[in-house]
Amino acid sequence: MLEVRGLVAGYGGGEVLHGIDLVVNEGEGVIVLGPNGHGKTTLLRAITGLLPPRAGQVLLDGKDITHWRADAIAAAGVIHIPQGDLLFAEMTVTENLLMGAYHGPTWSERSARLGRVYELFPWLKQRGGQLARTLSGGERRMLALGRGLMSKARLLLIDEPSLGLAPITTQQIYASIHKVKQGGLSLLIADENANHVAGLADRVYLLETGSLVREGPADDLLRDKALLESYLG
Amino acid sequence: MSTQLVQAIWGGVLFGSVYGLMALGLTLVWGAVRLLNLAHGAIFVVGSYVAYFVVSRLNLPILVALPIGVLAAAAFAYLMHLTFIRPVIGKPGFDNSTLIATVGISIAVSAAAILIFDPQYKVIPPVIAGNFTVSDVQITKQGLLVIGTSLALFGLVYLFLTYTRQGMAIRAVSQQQEAASLMSIPVVRTYGLVIAISGALAGLAGVLLSPFFFLNPNSGFNPMIQALIVTIFGGLGSVRGALVAGFVLGIFESFVEVFYGVAWAQPGVFLLIILMLIVRPNGLFGIGEVRRL
Repeated sequence: MLEVRGLVAGYGGGEVLHGIDLVVNEGEGVIVLGPNGHGKTTLLRAITGLLPPRAGQVLLDGKDITHWRADAIAAAGVIHIPQGDLLFAEMTVTENLLMGAYHGPTWSERSARLGRVYELFPWLKQRGGQLARTLSGGERRMLALGRGLMSKARLLLIDEPSLGLAPITTQQIYASIHKVKQGGLSLLIADENANHVAGLADRVYLLETGSLVREGPADDLLRDKALLESYLG
Repeated sequence: MSTQLVQAIWGGVLFGSVYGLMALGLTLVWGAVRLLNLAHGAIFVVGSYVAYFVVSRLNLPILVALPIGVLAAAAFAYLMHLTFIRPVIGKPGFDNSTLIATVGISIAVSAAAILIFDPQYKVIPPVIAGNFTVSDVQITKQGLLVIGTSLALFGLVYLFLTYTRQGMAIRAVSQQQEAASLMSIPVVRTYGLVIAISGALAGLAGVLLSPFFFLNPNSGFNPMIQALIVTIFGGLGSVRGALVAGFVLGIFESFVEVFYGVAWAQPGVFLLIILMLIVRPNGLFGIGEVRRL
């Protein structure tokens, strides 16, 4: 459903991504593995319109969305859970979630989605009236995920789901992403830890200094400890 | 109650609601768009002149002229957004270029008002004529209308921002613009909406206030300066701050004026603001950079 061809992107004078080719098929869980600072975040930002690519194409169901605005790409169902969560700090948990469904049709449809997200994260329901800025790191990540799931997402892009989280929270986060995947959503996850994503991945790309250096089925790549060690350290 | 006291309270509440009404538009635009709109007074003037035109040249009643003036002000503000604001959004130098552009618009509007009409003071009839006296103080019904309208609009804007999808989107954009666009909220269109709403508020203030102050090509200037002071006092970007600060400053100014003389009113207001800003540099309800609407 998503196809990236020869994507080049960067900031200012520097080029971060040097021609990325990547595919995510319907219902597939694709992981981009790479160490910090090698372009994972830049890749997701360039796909979802936050950073205009310098060259290359992003296709959604064969349609060229390379130069669409971020809000139009989101409305098309490509939902990006950004690094740092970027919550609406002075809005309540519930308000944050409702904003995730901005593109939703009716209040009733929105409350149905709210119910589904509460089922996944019962904790969010108890904290509905709390301001987002008062949440802990793990709670913020759950809210960021929940907010993304409030949309009519077809493809979820998640930037380092476990960044900065305690091990126990990390487990919870990946468990809920697993449930989301079982619901049929396609995933593109950028991560630096191969162990975390093992259960989610169908296919894996290895990203090194702005280029994809290996691609293959998760079962092969993630089992190759020597290879992973040499890339991720 | 003594005449002086009634005079001070009435004048204060009336000024306060006027300041608040103007400040509401300014603070909304600052909060959401980070635009210091120095054309706010010019938009006030556009609304009043359009209403004046409808009343005096087309001979229609003021109740017809009022909504036309408000719509014209909103349309003018939106046009300003399309021509001068939108092209520089997200570009370096946004602050300076919009500041200069809005000052330029103000100058152009007052020149246009002189060219199209003339420099003479104009009179717009009140929406409700008549008055009554309380302890020898004249209470105009138009004054009561202004106070009621201002309070009602604060309530409406609050409800809009808190409970509607569009209003929540405005807050979202003001707090985390990048996340807002990832939630499929069209950021630039939301800016346009806020600027148009702010323009409508300025136009309404213009039409309702002109019976008190008369209308001339620069009559938006003083209300805008007062609104700026109120906005800074209340905290830039805070709706609640604009309401509270409008009344605090209006009533304070009125009491100083009645009991110590007109000459002390403005110095007194500035002294109060300086003291307040020493204690709370971000204004009464200002929360610095993070929290806005």
